[in-house]
Amino acid sequence: MNKIINQQNDLLNKIGNTPLIELESLSKPNESYFAKLENHNPYGSIKDRAAYWMIIEAEKNGILKKNHSIIIEPTSGKTGIALTGIAKSLGYGIEIVIPEKASNETKNIIKSLGAKIYETTDDLCPKVGSGTDQSIALATSIASSRPKIYYSPNQYSNEANFFGHYNGTGPEIWKQTNGDITHFFTGVGTGGTITGVSTFIKEKNPKIKIIAVQPQINHLIQGLRNFEESAKPELFIKREKIVDDWITITNDEAFSVVKTILNKDKMLVSPSSATVYAAMQKYNFDSDIDTKCIVGIFADDGRKFKSIYVNQNIFTQSEFDYALKKSKYIPKLAYTKNDA
Amino acid sequence: MVSDKLNIDVSEILDARGLYCPEPVFRTKIALEKLQLGNVLKILADDPAADDDISRWVDRNGHILLQKNQKNNYFEFLVQKGK
Repeated sequence: MNKIINQQNDLLNKIGNTPLIELESLSKPNESYFAKLENHNPYGSIKDRAAYWMIIEAEKNGILKKNHSIIIEPTSGKTGIALTGIAKSLGYGIEIVIPEKASNETKNIIKSLGAKIYETTDDLCPKVGSGTDQSIALATSIASSRPKIYYSPNQYSNEANFFGHYNGTGPEIWKQTNGDITHFFTGVGTGGTITGVSTFIKEKNPKIKIIAVQPQINHLIQGLRNFEESAKPELFIKREKIVDDWITITNDEAFSVVKTILNKDKMLVSPSSATVYAAMQKYNFDSDIDTKCIVGIFADDGRKFKSIYVNQNIFTQSEFDYALKKSKYIPKLAYTKNDA
Repeated sequence: MVSDKLNIDVSEILDARGLYCPEPVFRTKIALEKLQLGNVLKILADDPAADDDISRWVDRNGHILLQKNQKNNYFEFLVQKGK
């Protein structure tokens, strides 16, 4: 038993401290580009940080009780995987409410990690929108009728999501760039990453420019939001003034760089990471800064996106398999038996 | 199999009282998935929203609402699996 507990603690200690690598395909004299590779978290994405902080904070506040409480969360992807892995490691029940149309790859990973899954369709509740909105409504109704058992962290309003990045990702980037960072790019989903990292690094140097990356309307980029078609999360609204500039990236712009990054930087990236890369490439930088140090968040890697890349004609199935095999920076995850 | 007052054979009873919408609709969907075509599900629900939400969902998804009764503090639906 002690051995198992130690293994679980080791795993949770590996959350954060992800590598920052230079993007040679973009860097030029006096302009260095870096990617923060969040796929190096134990469950494969930046969501490990928010999931861990939200659970630990609820433990501290006496909301969660081991072997009694059930964590329930509506999500369509990375947060479901992270919450399931971490909740199970810490001894909590976990139920994930997920849109039926979410990818089978993601649902299978969540199930294999031990969560009970509820799949929602768009016709359950006429008062809310489609997709994740239906999942949010069901998770809220399940939790609210059984408050002594269920806890819903709600990453869209939970301050622990902000603090995970304010105390973790932000200081890591500051240290890894020796305080030289001039521009920070990231996508916005819950708003936890952009507000947490930006608040920390702007406290260190208020001149750092924060650029929020959003996909086009009717986008295909899992994990990101376009705020012309989606509501801004409560967590983001609280500190949205921290954003200095916005850039919108089309589906075509995002998907067109996936092969470039693979060929030049030897990385198989996710659609959301490709969106951030495309934004760093497209952005019109001020000419008044002589030496630029530009950092972008790559929230996860491409291994879960075979079906979308094949559907978008980015890769054939065999090309994808070869790319995954040859890609650098594809670490072994807590739920994979072999590398990649 | 339980016989209803109007001699409708009920195969399964779902007690969704105390649950808030959309959970009664979701539980109805899951319960009907487990039944055979033509079998009848009785649903008890006390969330006021369940009245419209269950009736609408049943209709849109090809099932048949045989009866809807207002009891003292809850609704009772008899739904036949239609597809």
